[in-house]
Amino acid sequence: MTPDEIWPRNDYSRIRFDLYHDPEIYRQEQARVFRGPLWALLGLEAEIPNPGDYIVTYVGETPVVLNRDETGGFNAFVNRCTHRGAEIVREPYGNRADYTCIYHSWCFSPQGRLLGVPFMRGVSGKGGMPPGFDISEHGLTTLRVECWNGIVFGSFSDHAEPLADYLGPLMREHIGELVAKPLKLLGHQRQRIFGNWKLYLENVRDAYHASLLHEFNRTFGLSRLTQVSGGYMDERHRHSLLFQYAGSDEDAAARRAYESVQRGGYLTLNDAEIVRFVKENPRGITTRIISLFPNAVFHQIYNCLGMRRVRPLGPDALEVVFTMFGYQDDDDAMTAHRVNQANMVGPAGLISMEDGEAIELVQRATARESGAAGVVEMGGVGPMPNLDTRVNEVPIRGFWSYYSELMGIEPAGAPR
Amino acid sequence: MTPGTHDPQLRSLVDDLLTRSALLIDRDDLDGWLDCFEAESRYVVIPRDNRDRGFPAALIHCDNKARLIDRVACLCHANKFNPHYDRHIVGAGCIHAVTDGIATVESSFMIVQTTLTGVSTLFCAGGYEDRIRVTGSAAKFVERVAVIDTFSVPTLLATPV
Repeated sequence: MTPDEIWPRNDYSRIRFDLYHDPEIYRQEQARVFRGPLWALLGLEAEIPNPGDYIVTYVGETPVVLNRDETGGFNAFVNRCTHRGAEIVREPYGNRADYTCIYHSWCFSPQGRLLGVPFMRGVSGKGGMPPGFDISEHGLTTLRVECWNGIVFGSFSDHAEPLADYLGPLMREHIGELVAKPLKLLGHQRQRIFGNWKLYLENVRDAYHASLLHEFNRTFGLSRLTQVSGGYMDERHRHSLLFQYAGSDEDAAARRAYESVQRGGYLTLNDAEIVRFVKENPRGITTRIISLFPNAVFHQIYNCLGMRRVRPLGPDALEVVFTMFGYQDDDDAMTAHRVNQANMVGPAGLISMEDGEAIELVQRATARESGAAGVVEMGGVGPMPNLDTRVNEVPIRGFWSYYSELMGIEPAGAPR
Repeated sequence: MTPGTHDPQLRSLVDDLLTRSALLIDRDDLDGWLDCFEAESRYVVIPRDNRDRGFPAALIHCDNKARLIDRVACLCHANKFNPHYDRHIVGAGCIHAVTDGIATVESSFMIVQTTLTGVSTLFCAGGYEDRIRVTGSAAKFVERVAVIDTFSVPTLLATPV
């Protein structure tokens, strides 16, 4: 397909459904997006606080080990032995001084250098590697690694711009507020959704759905289209920030606005602690969903703070790993408050379980379509401005714009 | 006198609670399921790796019964999720101890989910770690912690485990 066939309109206001299904597109994404000139989220410094600590994560479908070496430095390499291609690290996290593949005991340093090959010189003059075999040429495939404010990113490309520039000032400011103090990990949630990975990244850039799909949001005023809110992007429209200020609208007026949407009465709570907001940031934003291209989300939903890593699992499935955190200086009551508010997020989240269902509805209903396309016009067509409203899907078009640049499928005259 | 872990009356009441609480979920009688909990009680569904690593964050974390009632009310009246049938298979409970009328009980479970068009899949495997108050003729949960092995949750987890 030519770019003009892929894009019925050059402003990305029509999204062909086969983009969520086509195996050839999926194959190209692994190379052009996930190994493209960009930075992917690997993990948090707080996940690997000590020398020797490691975690296994993913960039696209590629398994990557992120570790901390004896000098405290961060390293990342593809979790695949250079000998026969076996997975080296089999536990999702741990601590080790070196990395030995179980298949033939080839041993690698935390930096990915090949340290030793058993019986390299053979036995009694027989067998072994040929004389020209040079272990320095068989190190693991490594990624460039940069740490920004305790968040570690990796890149397969030598052409990625400096990480701080890639994030841009708006994302640095808002993520920076969430990680302004030393973090305390509170745990993880994992979810497998049987839909294309791009549907998840669209979902977290979809300002419009939050109070329509998630009734808990509109009932308790966590997120309503009647509030002071917005959807902003970086200059290149690759990342997005959705935000709002709870309390900036009136319950009664909001309920009038949602009259045609609400079915039945509104819920009340026996224990309203879950919707109590403790102001932690100077500007008083109550909720923000920050999406970083290609695989990361940071969220603040009241006092529930978290990071999400998104991993494609073939064209039809994805995994999200939610990592919840607070701050080292939280007292026990604040930790308990964050754990209580974690009820709102993840696969069982009161304001997020619906996302898993919505994504699967799209994946199922669009299978084997050719040519039909979804409509993305909320907030306008053409240019892709920041808008002070969540009645807005412009950040979804921003996602497709940068995606198309990486994939080499930008239509003629497309906005960037 | 506090009955011991082998007291037949206590064992029978514990077994009945384990079986009945699962059946109530499978029948979608969540109000009946709430009645299996004491007025002061706690219900948590936590991924196995969080539990093993000492992380407090869970999937469902209700530190008191009011929160549990709210969770069920949200589910019934606000949340949208994949329509399905649940089927719990609960193994026999192992009663580890009985202290002050509260039995510490552990059991294993599997939950099979079936779509409305009749397709079944294993949704979740895990273990219940319960504290159950047993009085003369009744047993209720003081605490139920469902530790789930299947912590990369397929699709979503709406119905209590």
